[in-house]
Amino acid sequence: MSWFSSTLRGVPLARLRGGNNEGVLVLSIAILSVAIGLATPSFWSLGTLLNVSTNSLTNLVFAMGVLIVIISGGINVSFAAIGIFAGYSVIVLANSTGFGASAAWVGFAIAAGIGLGLGMLNAAAIAGLRLPTLIVTLGTQGIIRGALLSVIGSKVIPNYPPGLDNLSTNYLITAQGAASQGAGATRLSVLIIPAILICVLVSLLLRYTMVGRGIYAIGGDAESARRTGFPVVSIQVFIYALAGILAGIAGMMHVTQVRLANPYELVGGELDVIAAVVLGGASIFGGKGSVAGTVLGVVLIALIKSSLILLGVPGSWQRAAVGLLLLIGVTAQALSAGVQRRRIDLLAESAP
Amino acid sequence: MGSPEPLLIASGISKRFGGVAALADVTLEVRGGEVHCVVGENGSGKSTLIKVISGVIFPDAGTITVGEQSFTHLTPRQAISLGIEVIFQDLSVFPNLTVAENIAMATYIAEGRRTVAPKALRSIAAKALSEIGVRLDLEARAEDLSVADKQLTAICRALAQDARIIFMDEPTTALTWREVEALFRVVESLREKGVALVFVSHKIEEVLRISQRITVLRNGVVTVIGDVADFDRAAIVQAMTGRSIADSQPSPSLREDMPPLLEAQGLCLRGYFEDISFSVRPGEILGVTGLLGSGRTEIAEALFGITPPDQGSVRVEGKPVRLRSVRDAMAAGIGYVPGDRLTQGVFLDQSIARNIIAGSIQRLVGRLNLLRRSAADETVRRAATELRIKMPSAEAPASSLSGGNQQRVVLAKWLARNPHLLILNSPTVGVDVGSKHEILDMLRAKSHEGMGIMVISDDVPELVAVCHRVLVVRQGRITDELVGDRLSEEVILRELAA
Amino acid sequence: MNDMPARVLRRMLAERSLVRLAVLTLAVLIVFSLVSSTYFTVINFQSMGFQVAEVGLLSLAVMLAMLTGGIDLSIISVANIAGIVTAQLFKSTGAATAEPGQAFAMTVGFILIGLFAGTVCGVLNGLLITRLRITPILATLGTLQLLNGIAIIWTGGQAVYGTPNVFLNIGIASIGLVPVPVLVLLTAAVGTAVFVNRTGMGLRLRLIGANPTAARYSGLNNDRVLMVTYVASAFLSSLAGIIIAARSASANADYGVSYLLLAIVIVVLGGVNPMGGYGTVTGVVLSAFVLQMVSSGFNMVGYSSFAYQIAQGAILIGVMSLSALARRYHVEGRSTLLNRWRRTEPSTAQPPEGKRDEEAHQPS
Repeated sequence: MSWFSSTLRGVPLARLRGGNNEGVLVLSIAILSVAIGLATPSFWSLGTLLNVSTNSLTNLVFAMGVLIVIISGGINVSFAAIGIFAGYSVIVLANSTGFGASAAWVGFAIAAGIGLGLGMLNAAAIAGLRLPTLIVTLGTQGIIRGALLSVIGSKVIPNYPPGLDNLSTNYLITAQGAASQGAGATRLSVLIIPAILICVLVSLLLRYTMVGRGIYAIGGDAESARRTGFPVVSIQVFIYALAGILAGIAGMMHVTQVRLANPYELVGGELDVIAAVVLGGASIFGGKGSVAGTVLGVVLIALIKSSLILLGVPGSWQRAAVGLLLLIGVTAQALSAGVQRRRIDLLAESAP
Repeated sequence: MGSPEPLLIASGISKRFGGVAALADVTLEVRGGEVHCVVGENGSGKSTLIKVISGVIFPDAGTITVGEQSFTHLTPRQAISLGIEVIFQDLSVFPNLTVAENIAMATYIAEGRRTVAPKALRSIAAKALSEIGVRLDLEARAEDLSVADKQLTAICRALAQDARIIFMDEPTTALTWREVEALFRVVESLREKGVALVFVSHKIEEVLRISQRITVLRNGVVTVIGDVADFDRAAIVQAMTGRSIADSQPSPSLREDMPPLLEAQGLCLRGYFEDISFSVRPGEILGVTGLLGSGRTEIAEALFGITPPDQGSVRVEGKPVRLRSVRDAMAAGIGYVPGDRLTQGVFLDQSIARNIIAGSIQRLVGRLNLLRRSAADETVRRAATELRIKMPSAEAPASSLSGGNQQRVVLAKWLARNPHLLILNSPTVGVDVGSKHEILDMLRAKSHEGMGIMVISDDVPELVAVCHRVLVVRQGRITDELVGDRLSEEVILRELAA
Repeated sequence: MNDMPARVLRRMLAERSLVRLAVLTLAVLIVFSLVSSTYFTVINFQSMGFQVAEVGLLSLAVMLAMLTGGIDLSIISVANIAGIVTAQLFKSTGAATAEPGQAFAMTVGFILIGLFAGTVCGVLNGLLITRLRITPILATLGTLQLLNGIAIIWTGGQAVYGTPNVFLNIGIASIGLVPVPVLVLLTAAVGTAVFVNRTGMGLRLRLIGANPTAARYSGLNNDRVLMVTYVASAFLSSLAGIIIAARSASANADYGVSYLLLAIVIVVLGGVNPMGGYGTVTGVVLSAFVLQMVSSGFNMVGYSSFAYQIAQGAILIGVMSLSALARRYHVEGRSTLLNRWRRTEPSTAQPPEGKRDEEAHQPS
């Protein structure tokens, strides 16, 4: 992964910090863990680890999709809508036609396909027409969510096809001596495997393929990328198509884990994912970001949420906490970027 | 050892932007194994020429011939496939990718590769590096490199593409002396391989040292082509800054008893200028000249609060002033017409009227911060009349104006404030001859009225025509002050070439 | 001065986007009136009037931020904070059961306090953007979350009840035939229009959005103007929040979440350029009414509010696509490739979000 190979003139401390501040994140997580552990000793249990992992699965896969978009210099807020659309549709489909009822992976494949289709909407507007990404994805979010609720259905579905039902209770690890949380807290869902697999694949994509390097190039300097001969339009289509596929899979994961298909979910939780990606070192301006950093970002946010619960802080504090964390992280990034900026750049203002 | 057959001939190239001809019937002949310098000052058209040849811009007329093939225009891909590589001033290096990736990337794309094997990348990069005998850390991220190393990366990228003609735009601007030497060694080894190099430059010493042939551009026109051996410094500078049809009406002499409007004492800005001391008297037009990179712009912008000096003091009308920001400068009565009109001077898509009142908003608001319409209209009307701005209506966007008229609008913005001291940076670049005359007349008129004026310029006839005194700046220091008989084109040319 | 109405009218007609909007308004009106007999009635228009004010005010807020080339994503959270503050004050002082005279005074006072609270949030945004130099997208994304979180903590996730009738009147009363919320919207719109078009600060705002570099070189004090912009945006959002509270007789941390998309659709449809410098209040207000008419029409025809969401998204992307295509074919030059490389005027090539690429090629 990138944090081992990046070199900043061989300065050892800088190497520890990592190309995307991964080192800082690891440190923060470590400090946080120690602090919480001191306050609540029950934190240091396998239960907590599994709890955190299970809770962050869906966000992890979403984050991968968001990551590639952000590295390319854009921003995507439609992923949650795509996710729930895909997940819910599969349940409806499975329940009504029996298709994919027995084999869970078929459901996932369908979800991925739906995500691909929806992602192409984004691709057409952004790569084809060169419209600003925030606004386009806000628009597609509206369209997709509206379509889901009006066309597919707006009811919560508690009945699951057997294949998926089994999957949702398929656990990899079951810890003994359950912690004080309720059932399900000390078990690690088998879905962690595809999640990790996806992370690895995305990492390989970014690092070892021309498309991946092209994503970085576009985010770094789109004009230069064009001049150098990168097929910018094709790469952008790829980005948004892949983001759609990943969102579809993540949505499916969520729906499986929760064991309830609620079409009102996921939308509204976009910020947690975006915050995780930004905290993980990806620059909103594009050109920077890594899978490792994003994973750490997701873990950090999940950790904070778990800690708050453990500390007895009401769940209503979670949102404020994430918001504050995002602001702190972004401020730190902005300040360190400001220090590095050279004198001549006085005229280029970062705030329009 | 230049081969007699030219690798590339661009002939009859013309290009207009708006109302101004950036290039008029320009011809450039490039031979293999040779360094050819395209020389000229701001506004000469040299950058435009490079953009045309590399396919970034399409010319209005002319042909580009490479080997057997002739084109009316090129696209970037075509140019690359013909072996033409350009290293622009911004280097087009991807800051977030590694050196190895930057070097090998273009090759990979050209070969239609899908996957990236770091080892293969490294070997391509290493090969390019060894061809020119340079060492770089392949895994370093480009943004962490020095400018010189970034440049070397860009050169290697060109080499990896089997470039036959490499254009470099102002290659030594940001390099130290040692790095320049290293670059020249690289250039020599490229020459030995038969690669043609075209440098766009304004640095005469280097031009004389490194090139075999030169083409000099002035105001979009070729003034001179030939072998470098036939030129000396003075001749090149003359061709660069040559004669234009400026009116040589001398300005009337100043009254000696007036106290100075502005006194600058010991101004220093590390890396740009040092020990700058001078004064400007009311009604005086002070010229500041020097070649590009001499620090002349930074001095002007220091007085305007854009890049405040580290040390030194400034007094305006006898009182010391702080110039830490643009507002400080404006409060002290200083105005500035910037050198880059399109990005710094004009609000292109806003109306002409808005552009003109942009600097006077404070003065034009009444109660509740409401703009006083009639006062604003009056300001615009007066400015348009005084500066003879040719426009369909004051509500038309500034982008609809010619360069010369746009410059008048910027001038109007500042004159509406009635500054004590007006600083202008390259005021007549990209401006048609008629507007040029009128702008200079305007400056003379204002100086009659007692306004102090500083003109930063490298247009020698312009300086002679309008200034009372001229300061020559070289490498961040004032090297001479020309006045009276010494204020002549010959002397200035000699000083610039020195 | 005496030819001002004529001048204003002439200028409005010159704006092609306004003309298009007017045509669109008529078209929507005609279509829905034909489809439903109860559409073209006073009652229906009044009903639309009650509903349009909230999102209209929020759209004005977004417009201000966009004029400077930025964006304010925190408008909903700010609106809710204002509403919650006011509602909490009512609740804790038992205003609902107070004497009419007392209730009136309390209403006025608490509204002012609520507005103040929301406006202070704008100061926070301004500080993040001007002092800490965080790009507006991220700054307002963070405050959106933070303020929402604070609101949730404070209200415990529950709605806050206890508003007096005087306050509720704002949401249900009409003066003559015109609903009070519409009057509030129009007053705010006029105020915003005056601010943006006729004041020095408004002019600075537009110029900074048009070309921040030239603005700097003209001494326009970008930081102060940006601060004013985000504070004004927060004020308008707070007004919206008060109206939302009045109409729902309660305040809640999560109201109006779907308004963000709608506000941006309204603003873009209204002709505001997201890259900065260009936009009209008239366009935004007109656009708000058009969308409200579409919503009402959908309602009458039996389409769900979800269909309305689809329409919003479709309109947003549709409008932007049309103007992008129009720009591409109108710029001078022989081919689109030419236009992509030459950037002497704002082109269709979009720089990545958050980055403003001011590079223009001057002949040199």
